Amino acid sequence: MVVLFAVGLYIVLTSQNLLKKIIGLNIMETSVFGLIVTSGMVDGGSPPLLGRGLEAPYASPVTHALVLTGIVVALSVTALALVLIVRVKRECGSIELDELLEPEE
Amino acid sequence: MRSALALVLVVVLAALMMAGVSQLPPPGEADQAVHRHVAANYLADGVEEGGTGNRVTAVLLDYRALDTYGEVVVIFAALIAVLLVRSAGGPRTQPPPRRVPVSPVVDQVIRLMTPFIALFALFMIIEGHVLPGGGFQGGVVLGALMILLSLALGPDRLRGALHTGALFWLRAVAPLAFTVSALAGLGLVGWWFALPEPGWMREFALVLLELAIGFGGAAALTGFFLSLEEDIHR
Repeated sequence: MVVLFAVGLYIVLTSQNLLKKIIGLNIMETSVFGLIVTSGMVDGGSPPLLGRGLEAPYASPVTHALVLTGIVVALSVTALALVLIVRVKRECGSIELDELLEPEE
Repeated sequence: MRSALALVLVVVLAALMMAGVSQLPPPGEADQAVHRHVAANYLADGVEEGGTGNRVTAVLLDYRALDTYGEVVVIFAALIAVLLVRSAGGPRTQPPPRRVPVSPVVDQVIRLMTPFIALFALFMIIEGHVLPGGGFQGGVVLGALMILLSLALGPDRLRGALHTGALFWLRAVAPLAFTVSALAGLGLVGWWFALPEPGWMREFALVLLELAIGFGGAAALTGFFLSLEEDIHR
């Protein structure tokens, strides 16, 4: 998970393309979700549901709910960022940061 | 130069985090802090207090309903922001581009699968409080179906089919439903987001909330996709 986080952070830091930065951000988010959800599992445990053959120990329902919330927020952030990137492309003609930051002639 | 600096930074940070993560208790042991305290309580009492066998739903819609309220408000706020950014760009100036028709195989398969995907999404939403699944998951399946249809039929036909007053309100249905649930809980039971007794009413309220989350989420997803699509071709 740490490796996944590092890969995502590296993409966010070094990539000049705004779209790739968003992809890096999503990779980072995925690593955090994976870490949280694995911390809630139990060896040989069952999902926290009622049903035939499902008995204690159960996986923790709190981490599941937490990650579900996180995914929804991540989706919202990604959607907003994508729309803003489309807008930047239309106004400035590029989504490469080094081209955007060049002083205008 | 810049990327080398970033690499050093990332490696140092990753080493620090690795040191931290290696100190965490190993996953999978049932007596760790994650599984005691609230989690143990939710597991023990969730079925009676939450009114559902799915304890994740009990956490989402009963114990931590306030957080889920915030969550649906976040989706709604993102949708509003997306629509604002789009409308700030002015009306469409170029004519819509000529669509390249999708292959007949893809078209037929999507048409064939649509009722089944819709049924599965509805099943996930309605049975989500007892089985794996739920409003968010079913909503995402339904939203993906809308995106699929937009790819097969063309976004303009989908937009025409969906352009109704009902859809407009569907986007806000999840925050509205949670507001109603919060107020109803306060009025009927005595605290915010409390679900009504007896059991069948509680279950009914859960299904209604899941339906609101599902359709609201699907409407938001469709809204994101359609405004992005429109924005790109402008």
